[in-house]
Amino acid sequence: MALLEVSDLKTQFTTRDGVVRAVDGVSFALEEGHTLAIVGESGSGKSVTALSIMRLIPDPPGKIAAGKVVLRGESVLDMSDADVRAMRGDRIAMIFQDPMTSLNPVFRVGFQIGEALRIHKGMSRKEADARAVEMLDLVGIPNAPHRAKDYPHQFSGGMRQRAMIAMALACDPDILIADEPTTALDVTIQAQILELMIELQQRKGTAIIMITHDLGVVADMADDVMVMYAGKQVEYGSADAVFYSPQHPYTWGLLDSLPRHDIDEKGTLLPIEGQPPSLIDVPPGCAFHPRCPYAQAVCRETCPELREIEPGHMAACHFAGTDSLVRGRVATAEGEVR
Amino acid sequence: MFKYVMRRILQMIPVFLGVTLILFVLRIPGLLPGDPIQLIVGEKTLTPALRAQIEEKNHLNEPAYVQYGYYVSNLLQGDLGESYQKSRSVTSILADKFPNTIRLAVAAILVEIVVGLLAGIISAVKQYSFWDVLVTLSTSILVSVPVFWLGMLLQMLFGIKLKQWTGGALFLPITGMGTPPDIAHLILPAVTLASVSTAYVARIMRSQMLEALGQDYIRTAMAKGLTERAVVFKHALKNAMIPVVTFIGIDLGALMGGAILTESVFSWPGVGREIYLAVLQRDWPVVMGGVVIVVLIVMVVNLLVDISYALLDPRIRYGGAAE
Ligand SMILES: Nc1ncnc2c1ncn2[C@@H]1O[C@H](COP(=O)(O)OP(=O)(O)OP(=O)(O)O)[C@@H](O)[C@H]1O
Ligand SMILES: [Mg+2]
Repeated sequence: MALLEVSDLKTQFTTRDGVVRAVDGVSFALEEGHTLAIVGESGSGKSVTALSIMRLIPDPPGKIAAGKVVLRGESVLDMSDADVRAMRGDRIAMIFQDPMTSLNPVFRVGFQIGEALRIHKGMSRKEADARAVEMLDLVGIPNAPHRAKDYPHQFSGGMRQRAMIAMALACDPDILIADEPTTALDVTIQAQILELMIELQQRKGTAIIMITHDLGVVADMADDVMVMYAGKQVEYGSADAVFYSPQHPYTWGLLDSLPRHDIDEKGTLLPIEGQPPSLIDVPPGCAFHPRCPYAQAVCRETCPELREIEPGHMAACHFAGTDSLVRGRVATAEGEVR
Repeated sequence: MFKYVMRRILQMIPVFLGVTLILFVLRIPGLLPGDPIQLIVGEKTLTPALRAQIEEKNHLNEPAYVQYGYYVSNLLQGDLGESYQKSRSVTSILADKFPNTIRLAVAAILVEIVVGLLAGIISAVKQYSFWDVLVTLSTSILVSVPVFWLGMLLQMLFGIKLKQWTGGALFLPITGMGTPPDIAHLILPAVTLASVSTAYVARIMRSQMLEALGQDYIRTAMAKGLTERAVVFKHALKNAMIPVVTFIGIDLGALMGGAILTESVFSWPGVGREIYLAVLQRDWPVVMGGVVIVVLIVMVVNLLVDISYALLDPRIRYGGAAE
């Protein structure tokens, strides 16, 4: 049994304009100590997936409409509020995109790190403070005993994200969810933070769900990759499978944008032509068809199911695994050479 | 922190001198109606010899800057001069009334803080609920009601219409008030004085709380496994409090101004009413002394507020970002 199993998760927001299907049937499994990367364009439902696992979807307007989230055999969606709180920060911890705003400006950094320890581990203020210093030291903050007494505004962006990591790992969680942890940082700092996460993962055996725009990050640390498009999972498999035999045209688009370091040195995703669809009026058929260069009549009419193309490698495309698409793929590759 | 406090105290000196200068200029004969010397003499006939004698005694024949020097040096020695009307020192007159004003102000601030903060927090946490609508509606009404009118309305309601129920005069300072006045007499003036400020505190608290609750660090706190109560009352409240404390501090001046009105409406025997009566009688030393005292209090309180503000907000305490 996997550490975390998510099946057919559907999360919706009721807005004035209609129901936003932010996450629409997502399934994946996370093994102990493994790293799952979730990639996809802005608005594809990555954060909502993560927040749903933590049961942090604001209700109203949000609601987890269907699906299962099972942590070590225990259904997270059926937990009492008290059990969910006991889980948050202790068994599953989360760090967020913007370290500048994710720490509370009016509390000392050490105090904020120690908070989870006091709730979950029953530590006294003193013990928690001491442990917070250890954690800051662990994430590479120099002069930690002194720095623990600082306020967030006295930390640089990179240091704040280190502090966030220290906070998240303080209780030794089974899973760390990192929602674009490096997007808001300088390129050099990004690499340092990722290195730190990889190092700590090796040391502590924490499983990581890494939400990112950066396919370089995926290549460096992910065991498995899930590609999301318009709230749906369009491809899912081992990192090797997704990188070396991608099946979905959207994944191709993502990968094609990868090597162009001359254009965008960060190696972040370059936009694929066209706009992602509104999540309220999802077009009939495949959500990607308006932007897909290989779209056929069937793509406009029926929504492709997520199918297993090869063992452990799934894709939601009518033509995944068939010759017609392989040919199309070769054609684009040649087009690029030209 | 010590440096900060010292700097603030030094900043108070020019402000205080400025206020005394304005007051002094206002006293120059001819600028405002009423001849002070005539007032001092009262019913007696004012002979030129008597006038010269009084001018001599009060340094009125010296140039203005010398007079100002006398005035400030007396002030620094705690001498506010003598009342034209009562042949008593202003210091002793105000010292009598001062405790009553403090009672009223403290009671009003308590109302403002307790009621204002609670109403604001509840309406933010239960946004769009019945309580939120009630708070929003009643604060909009309160901020537009003149203090003296509200005071009279309350007197009429509790003192006259609900006489049997409230014991009538009990709530009205006009009658049956001992020295010092009983707590019961304090209720209506305190509520009246606090009304507008309470409404503002509730509104600011509500909007600040809503803003704080929408911040990223709230999500971080939730993700740590804190209870909703801890998130609201610790993480959100401390951030939301900063502007509220500032408002309460700035508002103390307005509260003091309101005290003059409220004390007059309720005949509350405080400094405010004394200033009001002195203005009617052109008793300038009392007016000036009263205003100087009020200004001093406002300045000291503002200093205390700024210190507590710095204690709440580390970004101020440490003088800006260190990046
Ligand atoms: N509180 C909310 N109310 C209404 N809609 C929401 C809310 N939160 C998210 N959504 C919608 O859900 C969809 C998915 O958002 P999500 O934040 O998961 O995207 P994302 O993949 O994380 O994008 P990004 O890369 O920009 O972080 C978006 O269309 C968004 O508008
Ligand atoms: Mg996101």
